Amino acid sequence: MQLQLQQVLPVYFESDHRTASEVWRHDLTFTKGEYVKIVAPSGSGKTSLMHFLYGLRSEYNGNILYNSGSLKSFSPEDFAGYRKDHISIVLQDLRLFPEQTVWENIELKRQLNPFHPAEKIREMAERLGIGNKLSSKCRICSYGEQQRVAIIRALMQPYDFLLLDEPFSHLDDKNSQNAMQLMLEESKLRNAAIIFADLERIDYFPFTRLFHL
Amino acid sequence: MTVSFKPIRSLLQTGTNTSSRWFSYIGLGIGVLLLLCSIQMYINIQQLLGGESPRKEGYDYISISKTITNETMGQLEKNLFNENDIKDLAAKPFVQGVSPLIANRFRVQLSAGDIIPFSTDMFLESLDNNFIDTVPPNFTWQEGQNYIPIIFSSDFLEIYNVFAPGYGLPQLSEATASQVVVYITCFTPNGEKQTFRASIVAFSDRINSIIVPKNFLNWANNTFGHTTDVKASRLYIKTKDANSPDFLSYLQQKDYKVNKDKTKFGRVKQVLQGIFSGLGIFGLLVVILALMLFSFYLQLMIARSKDNLQLLLMLGYSPNWLSRNVSKQFVPVYILVVVAALALTEVMQWAFHHFVMFDRPELSSMLHWSVLGASAVLIALSLFTNYRMVRKLLYRLV
Repeated sequence: MQLQLQQVLPVYFESDHRTASEVWRHDLTFTKGEYVKIVAPSGSGKTSLMHFLYGLRSEYNGNILYNSGSLKSFSPEDFAGYRKDHISIVLQDLRLFPEQTVWENIELKRQLNPFHPAEKIREMAERLGIGNKLSSKCRICSYGEQQRVAIIRALMQPYDFLLLDEPFSHLDDKNSQNAMQLMLEESKLRNAAIIFADLERIDYFPFTRLFHL
Repeated sequence: MTVSFKPIRSLLQTGTNTSSRWFSYIGLGIGVLLLLCSIQMYINIQQLLGGESPRKEGYDYISISKTITNETMGQLEKNLFNENDIKDLAAKPFVQGVSPLIANRFRVQLSAGDIIPFSTDMFLESLDNNFIDTVPPNFTWQEGQNYIPIIFSSDFLEIYNVFAPGYGLPQLSEATASQVVVYITCFTPNGEKQTFRASIVAFSDRINSIIVPKNFLNWANNTFGHTTDVKASRLYIKTKDANSPDFLSYLQQKDYKVNKDKTKFGRVKQVLQGIFSGLGIFGLLVVILALMLFSFYLQLMIARSKDNLQLLLMLGYSPNWLSRNVSKQFVPVYILVVVAALALTEVMQWAFHHFVMFDRPELSSMLHWSVLGASAVLIALSLFTNYRMVRKLLYRLV
């Protein structure tokens, strides 16, 4: 299980990114079990990279390969399978259904390819401190609470790679560590890699590789 | 994938545009109803007017002649059927057989001998035996034979019986007429003559003529009329359905004249079938219109739920699975609409059979199987167009 970047550069980037970045315009290979930390200041294309890896966008030169298959050649149906079975994400903009409850939002992901039984939703929610929010609509939850919903949702499926795009931007240290701990446990369970992109280094992420975007 | 669609249903926002949805359902229902009724009425007409003319072994036999107009008057060639006319007619799919009615080309006089003092100039015709409804075994003639068997039109006997009293002649029953020996005298143009004995061996309901064996007339035309190439003035046609619209329009186009009685139903049928075909096409148009309206509704629904659907696709929901399930939502509605139209058509058919046709045995109060078939096709068609539409719209979101 490998995720490879071959000379990837967003089409909308100036060519001077070539020299500054350790990711853009490089050949990189991520394998299962690795913890990859990507430190990226604003505007360096952190969210773009995450979207490219997850297959949400394809405005880049170069190639991204999953198990030697180019994402650019994936059909909509292939992407559905990719996101259901192999790759999970916590997006910076979260993308929750505002009119559904917390529980429904998580269950919508879980039922697609259940890695955990439904009871696990409550257990994780309790652990991250949003156990009492399960039947509230997401629309009325705080951003910090929504961030935790998105994290739990990402942990409901089997995956080889977990992509994190500033997952703790609205969480205090205690809640962040708590969530990080949960994600590390879950990833260990699947022997999966975590690719964690954030503005700065975070001490409680035990990365094995570090890149500056 | 045993994923439940239930939690997804609420993500499709359908609430705000119920009126356009109901309009399209009603439109679809009306279109389907029109279409099904038209098919059923078309079949009713077929069944009611299918077999109205005298038949032999399920065939209609009718005679046709060319219409004599002021332009063709006096031009014998133009008023007779030539070889090509016959060939052309015989090649048509609705014609199962053609036989020319050959007439005499010499003067013929008939007299009733001494018993009935009656004599008249008359005509003889011949026709293939298998076109005659009543052919007794003695309807044969050999050269040298002085006796000629005749098949006589029942109508002619009736006419004779009408005018006979006025001339002081006896009225005759069919049985008596068969026993009367008559004399047929054939004249050459030069005035030479030969007299034959003849008697009626059978009466025909079908053929308005005086028929003699074919080989006799060929011989007589040659001997007395000095001609072998005799063109037919009338043709006898064997056809599956004398009321078939194809057949009638062919006759019309060729300007052939046909016994009106036998094709009267055919013309009524032609007109009625035309009306119901038109109605059917109109119904089909309404169905198409309703499906289009429905597709607008679908587009609107998907546009309204665009964010939710996109999010589902982002989460890893298969676009195929989503299209299938979104379109499946409308299956019960479509089936309900078509079944309701089918039920109304059944009521219409029952009422038509019972109140308008007074339970005539040719018709059935039940719908014809092809109407049921058509409704199944319509359901399939609506579901298919629906699925294609949803799929196309969803793939646009990927």
